[in-house]
Amino acid sequence: MITEIIINAFLVSFMLVIALFIVNTRKVIFTILLAGTYSLVAALMFVSLDAVDVAFTEASVGAGISTILFLAALSFLPKEEVQESFNKNNIFALSICLLIGGLLIWASYDLPMVGNENNPVHQHLVSDFIEGSKNHIGIPNVVTAILASYRGYDTFGETIVIYTAGLAVFILLYNRTLKETNKSVKNEISKK
Amino acid sequence: MNNLILKVCTKVLFTPIILFGLYVQFHGDFGPGGGFQAGVIVAAAFILYAMVFGVDKCKIIMPSKLNFFLLVLGAFLYGFVGVVGLILGEPYLSYDLLGSNKQSGQHIGILLVEFGVGLTVCNVMICLFYSFANFKFGRNKND
Repeated sequence: MITEIIINAFLVSFMLVIALFIVNTRKVIFTILLAGTYSLVAALMFVSLDAVDVAFTEASVGAGISTILFLAALSFLPKEEVQESFNKNNIFALSICLLIGGLLIWASYDLPMVGNENNPVHQHLVSDFIEGSKNHIGIPNVVTAILASYRGYDTFGETIVIYTAGLAVFILLYNRTLKETNKSVKNEISKK
Repeated sequence: MNNLILKVCTKVLFTPIILFGLYVQFHGDFGPGGGFQAGVIVAAAFILYAMVFGVDKCKIIMPSKLNFFLLVLGAFLYGFVGVVGLILGEPYLSYDLLGSNKQSGQHIGILLVEFGVGLTVCNVMICLFYSFANFKFGRNKND
């Protein structure tokens, strides 16, 4: 129990430090790399909560591929952020952030303890899912059983969302290059 | 990029990364993993190859047309498994009648569905990377 508390406290404070560094730095590449590190620490956090599948997804998607895609997008960005001058709106935004954060922390005192078997989450459907994934579906990983079989509709929706997002990005960027190519062709024609 | 160490390491690592992706894909029933993670891992192998050897070299092993075909095929496979269940007289996306008994039917259904998810995720990631790379290429060419 005490080791768990120490590990969790270490991970949370580590995440906090990384977040402060992200806010502080002006170089875009540092921001991207630190965001990847943040995802990796979040993955460790999920492992300590026994959510191995989520940790795996966080490590591969959050720390891996999104960092690479951000780096690929970085080549279109300026290397450094512009230093914004301080104004009154910042205080307003900061107070709203602190207010919302405080409310969330306050609300978290009403949450049940993590991992307690008497929690409302574990009372309703979960026992059916755990039993069913052993007897009906017959695979040891309950997460896969829920993801692919019991909640197949949701996963289908997720797949379609990813598919649509990929196509949308492709169409946006493809049209951009096409338009610019057309423009340069027109320019060349008008020069002649 | 003209770094010999990077090139040799990429060539050595390319196959094990894909192998690990396939392991995660088909071992998702028994351990952590599944279509989403496996797709991302396999895509990482292709993106690594594209970053080191250039996008044009990568398009030889994964052409844009094949990329799009697999992208659509993954989502189609998922929907199609549901339709097969529908034809066999079950609700959409329930796999009980796909095999000889309920359990093997569920196994086959989950395997196919996860494979569809993996294909779509992998090819969406590759497609995103290609789009970014092409975008840059198109703009530089016109400048």
